[in-house]
Amino acid sequence: MRLMVEARNLRKTYKRHDGSTIEAVKGVDLEIRQGEIFSLLGPNGAGKTTTISMISGLVEPTEGDASIGGFSITKQPMDAKRLMGFVPQEIALYPDLSARQNLAFFGRMYGLAGKTLSRRVDELVEFVDLSDRQNDRIDTFSGGMKRRINLAAGLLNSPPLIYMDEPTVGIDPQSRRRILDTVKLLREEEGMTVLYTTHLMEEAQELSDRVGIMDHGEIIAMGTQAELTQQVGEEDRLEFTIGAQEVAEALLERIQQETVGVTRILHNPPEQLSDESSESTPSRLTVFAKRGRTALPQIIQNLDAAGVEIQSVAVREPDLEAVFLALTGRALRD
Amino acid sequence: MRKILVFASKELYTAFRDRNLMLLMFATPLVLSTIIGLAFGGIGGNGDSELPDFADIPVAVVNLDEGVDTQEVITLPDQFANLDALPFDPGDLASAFNQAGLGPDQLSQDGTTLNFGDQLAAILLSQPVEGTGTTTTEGFDLAELGCSLLDESETIGPSSLAAGGTLDDLLDATSVDSADQARAAVDNGDFAAAVIIPPGFSRRIMPHFAFDGDLRLRTQPPGEDGAVEVYANNGRPISARILHSLVAGIVNQFVRVSVAIGATLETSVNTLASSILRGDIDLSTVDLPASVAALQELDATVLEPLGCLITPGANNITVAQPPLEHIQEAPRFARTIVPIGASQAVFFALFTGVFGIHSIYEERKYWTLQRLIVSPTPRIFLLAGKLLGNLVTVFLQILILLAALTLIASVVIGQPTLIWGTNFAAIIIVTLALALCVSGLGVFVVGLAKTPEQVNLFGPMINISLAVLGGAFGFALPEQAARFSLIYWGVDAFMQLANAQTDVAVNLLVLFGQGILLFLVGAWLFKRRLDL
Repeated sequence: MRLMVEARNLRKTYKRHDGSTIEAVKGVDLEIRQGEIFSLLGPNGAGKTTTISMISGLVEPTEGDASIGGFSITKQPMDAKRLMGFVPQEIALYPDLSARQNLAFFGRMYGLAGKTLSRRVDELVEFVDLSDRQNDRIDTFSGGMKRRINLAAGLLNSPPLIYMDEPTVGIDPQSRRRILDTVKLLREEEGMTVLYTTHLMEEAQELSDRVGIMDHGEIIAMGTQAELTQQVGEEDRLEFTIGAQEVAEALLERIQQETVGVTRILHNPPEQLSDESSESTPSRLTVFAKRGRTALPQIIQNLDAAGVEIQSVAVREPDLEAVFLALTGRALRD
Repeated sequence: MRKILVFASKELYTAFRDRNLMLLMFATPLVLSTIIGLAFGGIGGNGDSELPDFADIPVAVVNLDEGVDTQEVITLPDQFANLDALPFDPGDLASAFNQAGLGPDQLSQDGTTLNFGDQLAAILLSQPVEGTGTTTTEGFDLAELGCSLLDESETIGPSSLAAGGTLDDLLDATSVDSADQARAAVDNGDFAAAVIIPPGFSRRIMPHFAFDGDLRLRTQPPGEDGAVEVYANNGRPISARILHSLVAGIVNQFVRVSVAIGATLETSVNTLASSILRGDIDLSTVDLPASVAALQELDATVLEPLGCLITPGANNITVAQPPLEHIQEAPRFARTIVPIGASQAVFFALFTGVFGIHSIYEERKYWTLQRLIVSPTPRIFLLAGKLLGNLVTVFLQILILLAALTLIASVVIGQPTLIWGTNFAAIIIVTLALALCVSGLGVFVVGLAKTPEQVNLFGPMINISLAVLGGAFGFALPEQAARFSLIYWGVDAFMQLANAQTDVAVNLLVLFGQGILLFLVGAWLFKRRLDL
């Protein structure tokens, strides 16, 4: 299948005020096929937005290049930009203009005019189900409604490729569901290619054909969900929250040796929230086991015998979270 | 190009929809100007021909002119440096005139002087103008000279200088002995201006002659010394300008007399000398006593053509009349609100200029700038659209303020009054130049600042400094300092147009030049703001 996005060795370095440099993105290689939904998954600060900003021409790469439909974003930016729509994480709309005025203005900046523009705006307010509010100012909208107009503004030029940078941040579950459904609809009905960034594993799992997992400015794993989960095997994850308690290494070794199916155990000790505060995060134990539910009673028994107070237990089957945890030793939400 | 216009239109639309911005752009300057105008200009029109602000302009008159001793004029060897070159002895000619009672000896005995300084001072002080010109032992009064070119309705003499009023109404002139004393009094605000007539003024006016190599009499150019000084108080620019025009008109009149006398004498002497040299005239046969007697019988009416030249206000002080007439006609409120309204309009436009451009930070904050950058629109178009939008906003702001002030003035005065004058094309050009300059300054300030906070701090500081320099807060700094402010140039241009003067070329040159320079430098600096 034809490649819609191809990035080679994308690198972005920023200078700090003290003269030192920080590398936000460290040589990303990426290929997204036409009609595919590709998600960049990673925690906040992983470099997802910087990567998408370089691919969209918003930020100039320090090194490397990306092409959109065969057009280089650095050498043929106007041709490349004509092929893309952009839905930023922020509500990129003028609050004092109405929804329709916003769409009309951005449509004109994409070269639309006259009846074509008017028709396209009509279609989009209908598409995001805001026809009845199209003449209201954006600053009177709820967060979810703003998100929908924000999405519509990215679709004005009917692009074959759309970037969506965490489009569900800060909205209610109902609005999130609507946006996720819209993304699927765009691919299914319009054949649109979607580059989607998120730090929410559930969204990436639901939407994506392929996922790239980012951490510290690098893509540390990429593939279909099946390919990625295979990297951590068929193991379940048993997540124990045990309050602000220390757990002896000897106890963890004994559980791993004595319990059938347990392959490894990660211990996240409690962390003080701040220097001033005496409060701390709860201590967590993550136990990887081939048949998690079978191993669970014996693990609980061992912890109980050692005097460890268990606050909660969750059994999770292999998912992207597990992949991230396995690759980085940290949970996505960390 | 279409995208630039789309972006500029959006800027205009959002600016004129912002209620807070509207308050700053229009309501505040209009309210301030009206209050100050009412406080200092009052309500209603003039009522009569009195000149509330421009009547009784306090003027110090210092006359240091010692005049020209007629002896010096008449003593031929002194006056004509190369008299020895003549083919006959001038002494013989002088002796002949002396014998007839019309020679240098008689004139020298009178010890009379010609003093143009006295006449200028007398005109300004509204005192009778008495001549000291002497043709024989009997003097005559210059004021008696009539001018047939004037109709009966025109008063001959100083009073005709001020149309609709008298010079006595216009000026409250006081004679002061010393130039330093007068200047100090002007600086203290006791006088709007001082007219200092220097020693040598009459000598400068008096024609000087010399024979050239062909023995023809030639008038010599005047020396450098002797020019009248009008020392003005910067806080009274209009009064100073009126006085300057007035003095220039009167002095020009003297110069015309001088030129006429010089030309007449030059022609007469050259004709006479040629006739003598050719032998057409035999000096020995001339009946000098009879000629002198004929001259003595001449009265002032014979000199009527000369009277037209030296009668004050007759035909050669037109320079001063148009602005004077206009100023006198303008109602008091209009005269007050023109400088105040213009300075307030420009001052508040400065804020629109800076904060209009500053909105690029808002665009970045709301990510609309990022969305635009990701669209297939070159960044230079976004920059051009932003700047064009700001320029047009400022232009419309000033124009609307001028229109609104006209409306307010008309309501206060009680009749439609075009307070900015009737030269609409010039008004629009001055407004455009100001808008360019104001917007250019905004681009420059925002481009120079590293952060939005710096713009918030330095923008108002720069605007207020320019307002102080330009006199927008009601007090005037020395003109040399004021010239550094675009407000000065803008207000000065509007005041000139209001006074029916069109000499705003220098103002336009300064404003356009400054505007283009600030725009270019500012745009270069500002372009960095689009780099994310």
